[in-house]
Parts: sequence; structure tokens; C-alpha cells
Amino acid sequence: MAAAQSSFSKTKRQNAVLPYLYLLPAFLIMGVITFYPLIYQVIISFTNFETQHLLLGMRSPDLRFIGIKNYIDIFTAALPVENFNFFRVLEFNFWWALSNVILHVPAGVMIATLLNTDGLWLKRIYRAAYVLPVVVPPLVVATVWTNIFDERYGAMNQLLTTLSGTFLGNFDPIYIRWFEDVKPPIPGFLPGAPLTLAYYAMMIANFWLGWPFMSVVATGALQSIPKDLYEAASIDGATGGQQFWNITVPLLRPAMIPAAVYGFTLSFNLFNFVFFMTGGGPARSTELLVTFAYNLVRNLRWYGVAAAFAVIIFAVALVVFLITNRITRATQNYMEA
Amino acid sequence: MASVTYNNVVKNFGDVSVIKNIDFTVDDKEFLVLVGPSGCGKTTALRMLAGLEEITSGEIKIGDRIVNDVAPKDRDIAMVFQSYALYPHMTVFDNMAFGLKLRKTPKSEINRRVNEAAEILDIKHLLDRKPRQLSGGQRQRVAVGRAIVREPKVFLFDEPLSNLDAKLRVQMRAEISKLHQRLQTTFIYVTHDQTEAMTMASRIAVINKGLLQQLDTPQVLYDRPANLFVAGFIGSPSMNFFPGKIDVDGGKVTVDMDSFKVQIPDALAAPYKNMNGKKIVFGIRPENIHDPEFAPPNIHGEKVSAKVDVTELMGNETFLYLITGANTFIARVDPRSQKRVGHDVQVIFDMDKFHIFDTETEEAIR
Repeated sequence: MAAAQSSFSKTKRQNAVLPYLYLLPAFLIMGVITFYPLIYQVIISFTNFETQHLLLGMRSPDLRFIGIKNYIDIFTAALPVENFNFFRVLEFNFWWALSNVILHVPAGVMIATLLNTDGLWLKRIYRAAYVLPVVVPPLVVATVWTNIFDERYGAMNQLLTTLSGTFLGNFDPIYIRWFEDVKPPIPGFLPGAPLTLAYYAMMIANFWLGWPFMSVVATGALQSIPKDLYEAASIDGATGGQQFWNITVPLLRPAMIPAAVYGFTLSFNLFNFVFFMTGGGPARSTELLVTFAYNLVRNLRWYGVAAAFAVIIFAVALVVFLITNRITRATQNYMEA
Repeated sequence: MASVTYNNVVKNFGDVSVIKNIDFTVDDKEFLVLVGPSGCGKTTALRMLAGLEEITSGEIKIGDRIVNDVAPKDRDIAMVFQSYALYPHMTVFDNMAFGLKLRKTPKSEINRRVNEAAEILDIKHLLDRKPRQLSGGQRQRVAVGRAIVREPKVFLFDEPLSNLDAKLRVQMRAEISKLHQRLQTTFIYVTHDQTEAMTMASRIAVINKGLLQQLDTPQVLYDRPANLFVAGFIGSPSMNFFPGKIDVDGGKVTVDMDSFKVQIPDALAAPYKNMNGKKIVFGIRPENIHDPEFAPPNIHGEKVSAKVDVTELMGNETFLYLITGANTFIARVDPRSQKRVGHDVQVIFDMDKFHIFDTETEEAIR
């Protein structure tokens, strides 16, 4: 009896330890590739870490702790970098993410609704076609769109020339300098952060890339709306438009809000697209926080400043995440009993 | 208030013919139940009336107006769906008010009608809730309430009770009947449950395979089914059927079922006198088969020997599952009956209450 008791409590003790053992490998890997760099980054953000310190790291003799100077320099635009203003970049970054979502979600929902029409031919083919942009590598997408917006040979300027010729009778070739023109086409549209043509070019390109995802989500959600709700509404007297606003839109909301939040975060940190298309130019007008941080390291090699910048991005991202997470959780599934 | 007419209505889905031809009129203020097995076309018939399905040919009239090409919202009908189809994102109040709001009814009028309907259905305390916070029975009431507030000419019900538990179903059955008496409007009600049909309808339309089998009051349907299908569908447990042959010998008509014979009382024998040798189906309802000990007096009883296979004691009655020859049948006997499983017994067929059907046409012969 006593032996049984002890073996039982032994098993229990083993069971208590076991989960931690299973978690250990993951923790070790996370520690090496996530937590250590994270902490290291926070530490060097308070130093004057530059290229010459790479070899010895924290043991470099002339590495100095300079307090929060890096942070102050960033916030007060005291860095010797042309056209840099942290708050302008931050504002632009938010606007960039927001304006993308504002366009992608309604477009995705509209197209999904149209393609969900009963009796539409070749539905599956359309649906397969609009997933294509999602699976093309971003570098390829960026390259193609950079070429489309080429001043002399790009398809966009040729299209505008054709349109102008057809409708206005003016066949002079149009050479819009999409990625170089620093004059905002709509002055004062976003106070404090001028939106250059490059922004609009990127919006067009990212629209092509972004709406299909929203459409995929909306298509799935649409198919889960019971058909008899529309029948009940049609008997209740709702026209097609009224059914869309009173049934479709509210019932898509629980699916579309998390998708919109996801789209926002994705656009917010859309490094490769901005980097490959505009490089943040012209005059840093399309710089995102992430591309700027990259520039600090890659081109200027100011590791300390870049680390401070990364910590700031982390804080911003955290706030964005907390807010959006709250919104997401606030969305309920109507169908849940 | 309006009558409803189906004039030679046909419905095909592609090559599949769902409604072959139905042709009948529902009177004003009537409670008509469309009943039939799954897939018989009864729901399609209702959905065509609602305007949710197109009509392949024929015409449907509400009152004097042909509604074939009228949009559902302009037909002046209201429908209660099997799934209730409540708008999940709206409160009970908004669910009920939705149709009125779309019709630009004044706010005070909306309030009045919704509150009145909520009062009738006893859901006033639920008006602020969302459908997901309601039980099945409450959702059912809201769905009915949404129909009531519209004050339509015709109410359509598509199997509204099939998602409720048995007890609630009985209760709602009574409430819908009461509602019909109170509103004095035409009700058309689809169900596969013959008990619902029998208990609620002023008339029942039995539909099978896209064709109307019989349309009459519940009692006539029960007592004088027009054909084999109606006889088997209406009543629970359903009518017993025995394949047999008519023997006419002098003035006497007997039905020969191989394992037993029964004689038709002289008073009822006339229709069969010139059918000697005809193959028929003999039908008798379980309650017209008695334990000899408890058989009512003065009936034309015929003794039949059988073996008891199963007994079901219901308390107020007992079902005997009996075997004779190749036939099995059910008798619904007095609960005091001592017949038990395995007994060889004699039961009495009440020969004043039999039915005979033509084997080929399946029509009743009387």
C-alpha cells in the first residue's frame, strides 16, 4: 500500500515537471533568436554603438552609454539625416496603413458580393484568378509595378497618353515622374506629411496586391450567411440594396474586422514593397518606420540610433497591436448562442 | 384577408419535376395545412406562393390578383421559416419592426404594432434581446411575431415547429391555432407531421410526388381516405394493409387474405358484388381491431387468429404487433388486455370500419 502510494505521488511529480521539459527546447531557441537580441538591442539603444564596435561588441573600450540621447535625437529630428522628421514618418506610416485598408476592404467585399451572385458563370475561375496576386513573390510584384510606373517606357504613362488622346484629343506623350516628383498633387491632403505621386503609385500597386485577400475572406464569410435571411428580408420588403446594407454588411463585419486589422498591420510594416519600389523616396516622403530603421543600419551604420529607433517601432507596434486586439475581441460572432 | 388559388401549377427544377400539377383553392380565413412526406413538393408549393420560387407554368392567385410576376414584398404575405431566419444582428424589436421600417411606417405605429404582437405572443420582456440570447421556443415566437406585425393577407408557415422539442411543439401547436382564431386571416401551413396537420387544420391538402392526393377536413381524410397513400399517411399508428382478393359467393362478399378471410357486412357489400376475383388491398385501422374480451357490443366482428410478436403498453391503451401468415399488423386494444408476446390469440376486426383499395390504381373502392 505504501509502495503504491509513493509510486503514485512520484508519477504525479513527474507529470508536473513534464510540460516544462517539453517547453524547454522551444524556450532555448526563442531565447537565442528572440529574447537575447531583443534585450541586446534595448541595451545598445542607450549607447553610441557604431561600425567600429561590431568586433568587440559590449567590450569595446570606447563604447559609451549616452543615456536617452539617441531617443531625443530621433524625436527632435536632430539626426544629421536629410528630410527626416520622426513624427512625419509616423503620421505617414499610419495614414499609409489606414488608407490601404479603407480601399481594400470595401473593394474586396464588393467584388466578393458580385461574384457570389447566383447563376454567375465561371465563378470558380474568377475566384482562382484573384488569388494570384497573393502568391506572386513581393519582389516580382514590386519590380513589375516599378516598371509600370517608369517615366518614359512605363505602361501607366502610356495608358494616360492614350486616354488623353482618345478623350481630350491631345496626343502629346505624358511623362509623369511617379517616383521623383516631390510636389504633392493634392497639397494639404494630409497635413504635416505631403503625399507625393510615389504614394499614389504605391497605393495603386498595393491595391492590386491587397484587395484579393479581403475578397477571399469576404467570400468565405458570405457563404456562411444563411440564404433564408435574404428570403425573409425580401418578403419583409427589402430591395437588393437594402438587403446588402441591412443583412450582408452587418453579417460580414465579424469576419472583416479581424481581416482589416490584419491588413492594417501588414501594410503598416510593408517593408519589401516600399523598399523595392520607392526606397522611401522621393525626399523620404514614402518612408515607413521599418524602412527608415533599415536605412539607419544599412546605409548609415548607426547601430545605436537604429536600436533606439527599433525600440520605438516596437512600442508603436505594441500599441497598435493592443488597440486592434481589443477591437478584434470586441467583434462577436452573431451566430454564437 | 384573401383566398389563395393554385391553377394547374407546375414546377420543374431543370429536368426534375417537383410539382407535377396542383390545382386547388384555399378559402379566405381558412387554416389549410399542406402535408406530405419529405420531398413531396409541399415546401416548393409554399415558396412559389411566397414568390421565392418561380412558377414553371400555371398561375397562383392571392385574392383576385395573379401574383406570378409580383415581387415577394408586394404580395402582402408574411412567412415563418423553418429555421426562423431571424436577423442575428438585430434585437427582437428590430427583427419585428424591420419590415415596417422598410415600408416607412410611422414610428408610433411601429411601436404600437410590435408591442401588440409581443403582448399576444408573451415576448414583451424579450424585445431588447438578440436572437442568440433566446431559446428555440422564444425564437419561434419572434418569427411568428415578425409575421403578425405586418398584418398580411396570408400567413405562410414552413414547418415552423420541426426544430422544437416534443412538449414545446404541442404547446405551440395550440398557440398557433389560437392565433388563427384571433387574427381571422388565411393561414397556409406546411408540415410533414400528420399529427400537426390533424390537430390544427380546418382543411388538409395531402401532397405526394408533386400531386395533390386529397383535400378535405381532417375527419373526412381520416374516415374516408381517397387512396392508399392518404390512408397510410394519415393516422398514427398507420392503417394496416393486407393484400387480398374479393370472393363473391351468392349474396355474400368475403375478402381472402390467404391466411384468413373476413366477410363484408351485407349493408356495405354492394360496391364489391361484381368484383369476384379482383385483387385488392384491404385496410383497417389499429383501433378497429379489438381484444375479444373488450370488443364493443353490436359490431360486425370477424375473428382473426394471429400470434403476438411485440406488445407496447402505453398506459391508456396497448399496441399489439401481430403476425398472421405473411402479414404483420398492429392492433390498438384496451389496456386491460392480457395478450402477451408469444401468445396465439384471436382478435376481432370491426367490419363496419374497413377500407378497400384497388391494387392497380390504389384508389379507394366504396
